[in-house]
Formats: sequence, C-alpha cells, structure tokens
Amino acid sequence: MKKECIAMLLAGGQGSRLHALTSKAAKPIMPFGGKYRIIDFPLSNCANSGIDVVGVLTQYQPLQLNSYIGSGQPWDLDTSRGGVYILPPYQSAGAKGEWFSGTANAIYQNIGFVDMWEPEYVLILSGDHIYKMDYSDMLEQHKAHGADCTIAVIQVPLEEASRFGIMDTDENGFIYKFTEKPKKPESNLASMGIYIFSWQKLKRYLIEDDNNLKSEKDFGKNIIPAMLGNGEKLWAYAFEGYWRDVGTIDSLWESNMDMLAPALIDLYDRSWPIRSRSPIKPPHYIGENAEIRHSIITEGCDIRGTVSNSVLSSGVSVGEGAVINYSILMPGCKIGKGAVVEYSIIGENAVIGDGALVGSPPNGMTEIKITTCGPDARVKADTRIDAGNIVY
Amino acid sequence: MPDLHGLVYAYHSSPALGELVTPRTSASLPFGSRYRLIDFALSSMTNAGVRDVGVIMQRDYQSLLDHIGSGKDWDLSRLSGGMRLLPPFGMHDNRIGEYRGCMEALSAVRSYIRDIKQNHVVLFRGDLAVNIDLRDVFEAHANSGCEITAVCTESPCKGGGNIRFVPETPSTSRHMVFSDSENTVGLPSIEVYIINKQLLLDLIEWCSSNSKLHFHRDALTHYLSEGGTVGLYLHKGYTARICSVSNYFSANMDMLKAENRNDLFSDENPVYTKGRSSASTYYGENSSVKNSLVADGCYIEGELENCVLFRGVRVKKGAKLKNCVLMQDTIVGENASLSYVISDKYTVFSNGLVLSGSNVLPIIVPKCKII
Repeated sequence: MKKECIAMLLAGGQGSRLHALTSKAAKPIMPFGGKYRIIDFPLSNCANSGIDVVGVLTQYQPLQLNSYIGSGQPWDLDTSRGGVYILPPYQSAGAKGEWFSGTANAIYQNIGFVDMWEPEYVLILSGDHIYKMDYSDMLEQHKAHGADCTIAVIQVPLEEASRFGIMDTDENGFIYKFTEKPKKPESNLASMGIYIFSWQKLKRYLIEDDNNLKSEKDFGKNIIPAMLGNGEKLWAYAFEGYWRDVGTIDSLWESNMDMLAPALIDLYDRSWPIRSRSPIKPPHYIGENAEIRHSIITEGCDIRGTVSNSVLSSGVSVGEGAVINYSILMPGCKIGKGAVVEYSIIGENAVIGDGALVGSPPNGMTEIKITTCGPDARVKADTRIDAGNIVY
Repeated sequence: MPDLHGLVYAYHSSPALGELVTPRTSASLPFGSRYRLIDFALSSMTNAGVRDVGVIMQRDYQSLLDHIGSGKDWDLSRLSGGMRLLPPFGMHDNRIGEYRGCMEALSAVRSYIRDIKQNHVVLFRGDLAVNIDLRDVFEAHANSGCEITAVCTESPCKGGGNIRFVPETPSTSRHMVFSDSENTVGLPSIEVYIINKQLLLDLIEWCSSNSKLHFHRDALTHYLSEGGTVGLYLHKGYTARICSVSNYFSANMDMLKAENRNDLFSDENPVYTKGRSSASTYYGENSSVKNSLVADGCYIEGELENCVLFRGVRVKKGAKLKNCVLMQDTIVGENASLSYVISDKYTVFSNGLVLSGSNVLPIIVPKCKII
C-alpha cells in the first residue's frame, strides 16, 4: 500500500543514564507529566500530523512498551490502511538474528517494512523527547527545498551545545557542516534527532553504511556526515517551541517541572491533543486536610497530605501528614503517613513507608541533587534516603 | 462466558430530574466526576463476561449515543454480538414510539428478545449508580431454580422505589408489596432482575394481549398470582437510583466518602467510561482544595470544598466553591462564589458572581448557559 510518508520511531534504547528508573522498562514508556508516557508525544504528534503508519523499533525491555502501544487505538492509529507496528529485532531467512547495533542499523534491518508502504519519505523519530511538532509542516519544507534530508533544529545555549549534534547552515538555510557533540561548538543550532529522508536516498546510504565495517551505524555519526560528504542537500528545519531530551535524571526532573508552566508547553490545547492510554481509574480525591499548590494530579490519586511543586501520575496515594515537594511520583506509588519526599523521582508502584525521609532540599547555593527510587522499590518506615541516592 | 444477555433501560428519565434531563436521558446523566450513569450498567455486565447487550432507548438519546458509540469503551464492540442499540420504530413489528410502561418498551423490542441466543436476560435500569457482581447474581439465579431473581438491598437505597419482596425463605419470595413506608416488611428491589428468556417472552405476550403496561404492577403480579417464585439476591455495596435533583446531588456528594467510592470503583471490577484525552489536573499556587473529587483536565486556581468536578473544569483565581457539582468544561470566573450549585456542561460563571442554592434545592444551571 502506498503512503507518502511513514514514521519510524526509535524506542529501543536502554536509557542507562536513568539508572533504577529504567531497570524494568524501556525509557519511551517512562511515565511523564502526570498523565503521559514519553512515547505519547511522538505518537500523538504523528496522529495529529496525519501520519498513520508508525513503525516502533524496540529492543530493550519491550514488554510494557508493547502492551502499552497495543493496537494504537488511544492515539487513533488503529486504522485498517495503516497503524502502529512494533518492530523487534528478528531472524531473517538463512541468517542469524542480530540485535540493532545502532540507530541507522535499526532502520537498515527494517528496510523490508518501510518498502511495504512504498513511501516517498521516511520520518525518523526518537522515543525520548518531549515536544509538540507538526511533522507535516516539516515535510512541506523538505519537499519545497528539494532536500534529500531535513533535520529539525533548535537553538540551544552555546554552553550546552556540546551535548548535541551541532549544525552550521549557509545563507539559504542548507546544512554544510554537522558535528556530533563537538568539544568547541561553533554554532548553537542543535539537531533534535528528528529527520525526514527521501526514502530511496536513505535506503542507498543505509546499505552502503552497513558494508562499512568501521561505521557505528548511527544517524548522527555516520549517515548524516556521509550524505554531507557526498554533497547531498540537507535542509535545516527550524523549530521554535518547547523541546526537551529527557535522557538523564536531571533532565527528566526538570522537564516534568516544566509541565507545571503551561506557558512553556500547553497540554490543555485541544487543537493538538497529546493522547495516552487510560489506566481506567476513578477521579482523584483530595482529602479534608490536604494542601495542594502548584502541582499536577492525575486520576486515581488519593491525596491526604501536602503536595507542592510536584507532578503526580495516576493512582498515587499520599498519606495524612506526608509532605511532597518538588518531586515526581509515578503511577501507583504509595507515600506513607508523615513521610517527606523532596526533590525526588519515585518510580511506578514504589512504596515509601510511614515517616520515611526521601531526598532533601538544595542546601543554600549548592546544586540540586535528585533522589530516585526505582519501580517497585520499598523504602522502610522511618528510614532516611539521602539526597542524590538511587534506591533499586 | 455466562449464558446471560443484557438489556439496559435507557428509555425513561424521571421528570423530577428537571433540567438535568432536558438535553439527555437519565442514563447519560454525568455522575461522579467522569462517568455517565449507564456506565454502571454496562460495566457490571462487561465485568461479568456478558458480551451481548441491548440498550432500549426512546427519546432524547443523542447524548447517550455520543457517549456509548460502538460500545468500544466497555469492550462491547464485538465481531459477533456486542452492544446493540434499540431505538423506537427499530423493527418491522415495532409500531410503538411512545412507551407508556416497561412492558410496552420490552414488547417493542420483542423480536430482538426472541432472537437472543442466551437463555437468561439481565434487566438493568440505566439510572443506577451501583457496581453489581452479576456473575454472583447469575450463579444464585441458576442455583435457586427460580425463573426470575430480583436484586435487592437490605434497606431502601437512595432514590429507591416502592417495590419490596417479602422473603419466604432467605432467598425466595412469593409475595411482592408496593409501599413507600420505611417500616414495611420485605427487601426493597433495586429493579435489576435476571429472568429466564422464555418467561420474559411469555410475560411480554401476556401483557400485550391484555393491554398491560407495567413490569411490576402487571407482569410480575401476574407471575406471582400464577404461583411463581422470585429468587432474592442481596446486594451489599453502595446503591443509588437517580430519580430526582436531590438524589442526584446527594449521590454525587456520597462519592466524597471513601467507603462509597470503594464500593463503586474497584480495580477488580472497574467502571469503564468513554475516554477523553485530557492532561492531568493542575492546581495553582493559591488554590485550596478540601474534600473534593476532581477529574483530569481541570485547571484550579481558586478554592474548593466538598465539590465534584468533571473533566476540563476551570476555576479561576479567587473563586470560592462549596458543595458544588460542576460538569464538563464549566468555567468559574475570578472571585465568583458558588454554593450548592449544579452546573451542566459548558456553563460559564462570570467574574464576581455570587450564587447559593441549598442542600434541599441546589441551583441547576443549564447546559451552555452563561451567567
């Protein structure tokens, strides 16, 4: 069946920098912003942009991810002439199965899937970014400029530029230089890890890259530089708006805190809904003695204590007298009576015992140290978890 | 899968619900922050493994149709069976559009009932807030050998009707009484029944040929007078029948008590409802919230006490709400002060507005009204 453009969503990374939080499930399935999982953002963007075929490439701890995506119905992607497809590594005829060895290799191994749709263009997405973007606008620019590849770019502070793939563009907006994580960045135009390729072109580069034994099989490190080297047309699609990579504990915490400021990203905007699979819980209840300030609360929560500057996912309970401050509580976690949780991320279904102290506020001018408890972690009553610790 | 077919009555709204049922039937009345009343009937059936459900409707059913759609949210959109909508004039032999009684409504869909594959039918009112374990009722029905089993409560439920069964043994009755008095003997019926399909068809036939209209007054009375026995099943959890504005208001307020919520909403037998993608609810810097039930997608900057808020409600700075039920997408302006107010969907309260009803007479603000 022919489609103009399909999306391939890279969701197989381990997210090792999130330590305990990704010990049981892949990063894209990480609860985020109360109601969501990270992968809701690219999936909803696809649905809102009119892209109705999404291949989701999975590898690390995929079980929860697979069941979360299911038929794609929550994102309206369960159509009969398209849909969401989970694409795990597989064994092909006559060959030994192999893992995806890099972002480009993951697409290379699924050339057959992409070819099924005979697309003109392929959109490559990551499963660990928080943003709202109209991919159809990016595709329009790709076509209008006759590009072979279009990379979404965003301006970042120069001092942070060394964390990103950095681009230099000519006066027309075409990219002439791309450096992955440069030590001395010359520009602040960062790649958002969102690419549109003309499929036939990309296919050729993927096959060439696979034959190159020295290649790391990575889009940023190999495919893009190879295309630049050959003088292909690479267009920079300038994105303005909220975009965060949530690959580290600090960025995950900060980005969740950003959800408390609708000026940054408006999740209440009905014209670009971010959709998620509902856990089927009753509404949340706020008790007689509860106090809530500047916080997000989700269905199924039962709040009896004090919650401020925090983001609570579904089914969280906070006992009488407990204090939650500048923290992220993931689905189903239970905070005991009188417990204090500050500057922390508490994983799914974790239990914090009565009177326990988890994390602590930043001390004067020193930097914030986020404390994390992994999914299903148990913190015993009246114990103390110091700032910056990780509980598995 | 039980040998049980579901029939939901969504054709009648009690007139005492007033303006609440102007834009809808009572079965699609919003309840408990995110539900519609029919969710309880449909979810009880789904949780019991009932896969075939007919919904009898008559008038004002657009909002009901919008809500239940294909039945997907209750897992009732199936390749064979699933949910069937039964509007008036739906079948060739159905010439009645205005049902004067339950038996007339059943008679209107009798060719549907005749084609039911299952041998038992559960009749469920669409205006109940109750989570019934129908597997258990069905087992009791099958074990009792009775042709019909009535679900009863120990004492009259909120908004309960006047029908009681006087037990002959702990689980059977051959005597039905009509009484509003609290002191009457007998177990009050919540008007949910499991009935053998053949008996149901026989009663429809008898009523139709004798011009009888009512289920209890005519059909059941006839059945008992012929020597029939009614099985009794005692349901213990929270039960409310929403027949008046005051029932509606106080049943919503009942949801602020944990024991009532636990009765209606459990993880094992969840209540399903139509999904709506909304963000979580945000509470602002100066908000204050006590004893309230709040759905997703709200934006609260004011003060709430003893309130039930549906999805997408916005309460602006300085607004004070006490004992209110605010349906979907209500907007409360800055410094407005409301107590004992039920606002229908998309209502807007202007800045600084002061409005107070009372416990016995809450003020209803109709759908889309701007005041």
